[in-house]
Amino acid sequence: MASGSSEVEEQEQERVMLRDRPEWSDVTPLPQDDGPTPVVPIKYTEEFAEVMDYFRAVFAADERSPRALSLTAEAIHFNAGNYTVWHFRRLLLESLKIDLHDELEFVQRIAADNSKNYQIWHHRRWVAEKLGPDARNAELQFTKKVLSVDAKHYHAWSHRQWVLQALGGWEDELDYCSELLEQDMFNNSAWNQRYFVITKSPLLGGLEAMRESEVLYTVKAINVYPENESSWRYLRGLYKGETISWANDPQVSSVCLKILSSKTLFWILSVTVINRIKTSEMPLRL
Amino acid sequence: MDKDLHSTFAELMFHLLPSPYESQEINHLTLAYFVISSLDILNSLNRVEKDAIANWVLSFQVHPGTKADPNNGQFYGFHGSRTSQFPPDDNGVLLHNHSHLASTYCALAILKIVGYDLSNVDSEIMLASMRNLQQPDGSFMPIHIGGETDLRFVYCAAAICFMLDNWSGVDKEKAKDYILNCQSYDGGFGLVPGAESHGGGTYCAIASLRLMGFIDDNLLSSCDSSLINVPLLLEWVVQRQGMDGGFQGRPNKATDTCYAFWIGAVLKILGAGNFVDNKALRRFLLTCQYKYGGFSKFPGEFPDLYHSYYGFTAFSLLEESGLKSLCSELGITETAAKGL
Ligand SMILES: [Zn+2]
Repeated sequence: MASGSSEVEEQEQERVMLRDRPEWSDVTPLPQDDGPTPVVPIKYTEEFAEVMDYFRAVFAADERSPRALSLTAEAIHFNAGNYTVWHFRRLLLESLKIDLHDELEFVQRIAADNSKNYQIWHHRRWVAEKLGPDARNAELQFTKKVLSVDAKHYHAWSHRQWVLQALGGWEDELDYCSELLEQDMFNNSAWNQRYFVITKSPLLGGLEAMRESEVLYTVKAINVYPENESSWRYLRGLYKGETISWANDPQVSSVCLKILSSKTLFWILSVTVINRIKTSEMPLRL
Repeated sequence: MDKDLHSTFAELMFHLLPSPYESQEINHLTLAYFVISSLDILNSLNRVEKDAIANWVLSFQVHPGTKADPNNGQFYGFHGSRTSQFPPDDNGVLLHNHSHLASTYCALAILKIVGYDLSNVDSEIMLASMRNLQQPDGSFMPIHIGGETDLRFVYCAAAICFMLDNWSGVDKEKAKDYILNCQSYDGGFGLVPGAESHGGGTYCAIASLRLMGFIDDNLLSSCDSSLINVPLLLEWVVQRQGMDGGFQGRPNKATDTCYAFWIGAVLKILGAGNFVDNKALRRFLLTCQYKYGGFSKFPGEFPDLYHSYYGFTAFSLLEESGLKSLCSELGITETAAKGL
């Protein structure tokens, strides 16, 4: 109730215009002024225009009240990208001392409709930052949930990387990447996350320490799906800044040879081979 | 491509955007940029009144008055829309300033398109206050009340300075360092350091470096002394063209109209346009062309403004006859960029 979102849900059944709600009768809406010659005008619905006009009135009066908070929820429902509305909501959350755990739930409900919106994720980060390490598990779970629907969700991955770096929680991340890759070897986002983990996790010792076991893992993946660009690029990434060892590592040579000797020649492989020939001190025997 | 059909589509959009666009009201200037730049690319700008456009755009500019201190943490640029714009109080003091970098970029781009002389724009405080948005790591916040920092706003900042021909608003070295930190192990660029390589992020990175003068035309011929790993980047970019001819934004994702611009423009800036299979790309784009004008994201869907615009820019990169050529790094036509 405090966050005002349950009201929005009820109103979806049969929404009452603000002008017909007694609790808003004392407010005069502040209409937007698009000047004498509006350009590229938008055909606003009556509901949208009304909510925004009331929002403008309340924001201009700087009214820090529960009804203002619930109005921001309605305005966000109509345009989740409006950063002025989100900004005012944050001021209200602070003034009204709202329990921010409730706010995480509010964001989750908004994201269920439209999660590909930068403002939602920025707001989520603001809340999580305020809650600190307390929020870590909630954030890891939340992103996991979003990623279970869309495993390549760019905002969710960015948020998750921020959580790991700011709040911690690295312990199970490599396993999580393996799990996602097991579901879909072609998930480039999961490969990218894997690279992020092996290079950034304070628990794993960095790229150098991880290289051998990761090469093994990747070569296996390439053998299953030799046409997968993601695994080839990851393999190459494991040798970042190390062209000589990339060119000479027998594990890389043998996977190239193995794939070459099979019937199909993949473009990515030929690029890899050419690149290895170019960077190799010794000619590669093929 | 049916140019007349698309011109009519863009003109209709110019006169009234349908209701679903109200959810993007906060980015009204961006929507306007898509429509007006579309008309320009389609060589149909004569269908609209340029002075009215310039006046409307200028009405979004924030004028803080002479007493504003550029070091007060705020950014004084352009508002994105009317809902975020409020009249000053009775004493003429501006209480709410929500100027946004993307809106400011779009505002200046539109002004250039309609031939407005940018030296008439009061840009001193705009540039001085833009520094307040640059973060210690070189990235930019879009707005002083806080927002996600990533490559998109580095690009907006660079494009604004380039158009105003004044770089006092950006610490270029820091911005460059941030961009380099965004190059991923696979050669492409993510929107933030550590993020997955992405067509849009890669465009922002390369176009910004170009605008800031860190990379030259035809980088390929001079790649030895380059800041970025050009061969790796090129390999990543070239491979974004899918079997169906379209471009994808990330490996193993579906091809999508807009990446024909994001990726195509990067190839153009790198001087590697000849790596594109133009015929296949054209064939893909035509499957996304809507029968009443505009382009959709995927084949056979309904069009939207964003994908329509990037469909037009993609055809311009393909040198479609009757279309104006594009200044890839600024996202407007060559004639608009040069002020012709
Ligand atoms: Zn797209």
